[in-house]
Order: sequence, then C-alpha cells, then structure tokens
Amino acid sequence: MNAPFFKYGLFGDDVSLVVAFVIGIGFGFFLERGGFGNGRKLAAQFYFNDLTVFKVMFTAIITAMVGIYYLSVIGWMDLSLVYLNPTYIVPQTVGGLLLGFGFVIGGYCPGTSCVSAVTGKIDGMVYLLGIVVGIFIFGEIFPLISTFYTSTPMGQITLSQLFNIPYGILVFAVVMMAIGGFAAAEWAEKKLGNKIVEP
Amino acid sequence: MKNIFPKLSMNKKLALIAFVLGLTAIFAGNPYRGSSVTMDVKELALIIDKQADHISSEELAGWIIQEKSDFKLLDLRAEKEFNEYHIPSAELVPLAELNEYPLLRNEKLVLYSEGGIHSAQAWMLLRAKGYKSVYMLMGGLDEWTDKILFPKLAQNATPEQTAAFEKMKEVSKFFGGSPQAGGVVEEVSAKKSIPKLEMPSGTSAPTAGKKKKKEGC
Repeated sequence: MNAPFFKYGLFGDDVSLVVAFVIGIGFGFFLERGGFGNGRKLAAQFYFNDLTVFKVMFTAIITAMVGIYYLSVIGWMDLSLVYLNPTYIVPQTVGGLLLGFGFVIGGYCPGTSCVSAVTGKIDGMVYLLGIVVGIFIFGEIFPLISTFYTSTPMGQITLSQLFNIPYGILVFAVVMMAIGGFAAAEWAEKKLGNKIVEP
Repeated sequence: MKNIFPKLSMNKKLALIAFVLGLTAIFAGNPYRGSSVTMDVKELALIIDKQADHISSEELAGWIIQEKSDFKLLDLRAEKEFNEYHIPSAELVPLAELNEYPLLRNEKLVLYSEGGIHSAQAWMLLRAKGYKSVYMLMGGLDEWTDKILFPKLAQNATPEQTAAFEKMKEVSKFFGGSPQAGGVVEEVSAKKSIPKLEMPSGTSAPTAGKKKKKEGC
C-alpha cells in the first residue's frame, strides 16, 4: 500500500476523522509527557534555561523529513500528493512574529495550550479562551485585511525549488543544522541558562 | 567504529544516525516521482476487455439529474470549446495540464472529450499514475449531443423504442436539448442549437468548481 493512505483511498472521510482523533490524542499525550503542558518550561527556552522545546521540535522535523524522504525515494510514498501550504512571505512573517510574541508572553503555543488546559491549568484555559477570541476577531476583520493576507504569493514552493538545489543536499543541510543546533543548545543551557528567572 | 558506538551517549548515537542518513541522502536522488510512471499492461488490458472503463451518456445524465456528488466530471477539451458548451458540473482540465491538476486517488473521475480518443488517452495516463476509479464517457461529447441533447425517434419505431424515447424526452429537456420525433423537431427551434450554458434548470451546477479542500495545520 502506498502512502499517503487517505489519498490512495485506503479509507474514506469518516475513518479519516477517527485516524485524526487517534493521532491528535497521541500528539497531546506525548506533548504532556514531555512537559509541554507547563507554560514555565515552554517559556524557559526564551531565557536559555531549558531548550527542550527547541530540541524536541527540531528532532521531530528531521525525523519526519528523513522518513518522508527515504519512503519517497524507495517508492512507498508519493510525495507529490502531500499537501503543501502556499507561501505568502510577508503576511506569514508578520503572522509568525505575532505567534512568537504570544508564545513568549503567554507561555504556550496553540497546541500546548490545549494540552495545558485539559490538564487543568488555569493559564492554559485562559490562553485557549484568548485563541477563540482571536479567531473570532480575525474572522470579523478578515475582509479588511484580506488583501494583505494574500499579498506576496509564492505558491506551493519548497526550499529546494527556491534555491534550486537537489532535495538530498537540502536534507543533509537541515540535518547538519539540527545537529549544530543541538550542540549550541546544550552549550547555551550551560553557559547562559543559570540566571534564575523562575519565581 | 564497533568499539566506539556502544560507548556513546544516546543523544550522540541518534545524532550519528541522523548524520549518516543525511549524508546518504545527498546521493539517494529526488524524492518526487515526476511525470514518469510504470503500468501494469495486463491489468489495464483486462479492464478494457471487460468494458469496465466507461459509462454511457444515459448513465451520466442520470447521475447529474440525481445530483450525485461522488464523482468529478472532467472536460479535456480546449477552454474555448468548454466555454461554448460543457456538460453541467464539468471542470475544465486541458489534457496538457492533467499531470498538475489536483485530483485525489480515491475520487471517481469521469473523463470526456469531443469524440473518444482524447479521453481514452487520458484514461490510460491516469490509470498508469495509479488513479483507481477513472471512467470515460462512451462516445464523448458527440454521443452526448446525439443521445441526450437531440434524441431522435425514427418514423417506423417499435413501441419499445417509442417508450424509451418518451423517457429520453424528459432527460433531454432537463439538459436544455430538443428531442426530435419522426425527423421533425418538436420544439420551436428548428435548428440544432447547442443549449446555452445556464440552461440546466433545477440543478445547481457550479461550473469548474474550485472548491479545493483546505488542508494542513
């Protein structure tokens, strides 16, 4: 059977919701077990006390990347069927910065706030409420910002296409970035992370 | 190497594995399949032989009238011809753009062109690319025009033929056509005029539906 399973018709819309539910619960469970349901631990990375989040996320990225790459190369997966979010560089940069500020101030990103809220943390619930209010406001003002929202479109582009380098070399470069990032993170935790900011 | 590896910490082992996989990737090639495919000639020949590769214009007309939404109707002709007339609910996919057009492997696809040649060729391409339920419209738009839009009843028709024609008349009118009995055109318009695009009364047939499913996080 070829992946992606849904697009090859292994299961339909109904079953895909069940699959999404199982994956979602699994994702939340492991986030919680990794300590990502705690706003302090998440915010600590911005003070270089604890870069677990950075390390976990980068590990996830290279694991997925290497897995997808090799599955596609040996023909078990059709990469052209994997959806790519289209790039709108300026609005997405602004959006990324907004999310980053929210992350530093609130101590959560959207996924971890759900984890935190269901484990009974009040700050997580407030954060989740903030997300809902934000979605509502975004929806209401969308007509005003829709021109900006769709400005600077670059299409469904990958780094490999943008820089015109082979995918294999890009995979290697990202792996090296990750390994370098992990080493730098360990160093930063030791050198810069001893300023105690926790109350 | 054998002696060093077990002594490394777990993190270093994982980093080493990632490094090796990354290094191999440089030489492993492109993950995208591009437009080259492999096909199972025997399997395709069997399908063609069993005639499981096409649907008739009557069947298609029935599906559209029942407002079935479990299939995608693809018009492979040029844009100009598409704009003049197309079967309601059809989407314009010129043959050259077939490889890039967003289609799902699990969708039922019905192809049609002017006659049957282009749709047969596109059928072969899609089957080879791994689309499982692809069908062509028998006889293409030509047969659709003859059978659905302008059905004829011969003067010396048998009662069965007449009964079938009576049924067909309703179908034809649904699609804005004009049935012809005994060589005489029943409707006011004596000339075979291809119906206007907004004709299908009753169906909400959005042309070239651009409702791409939003995906991603």
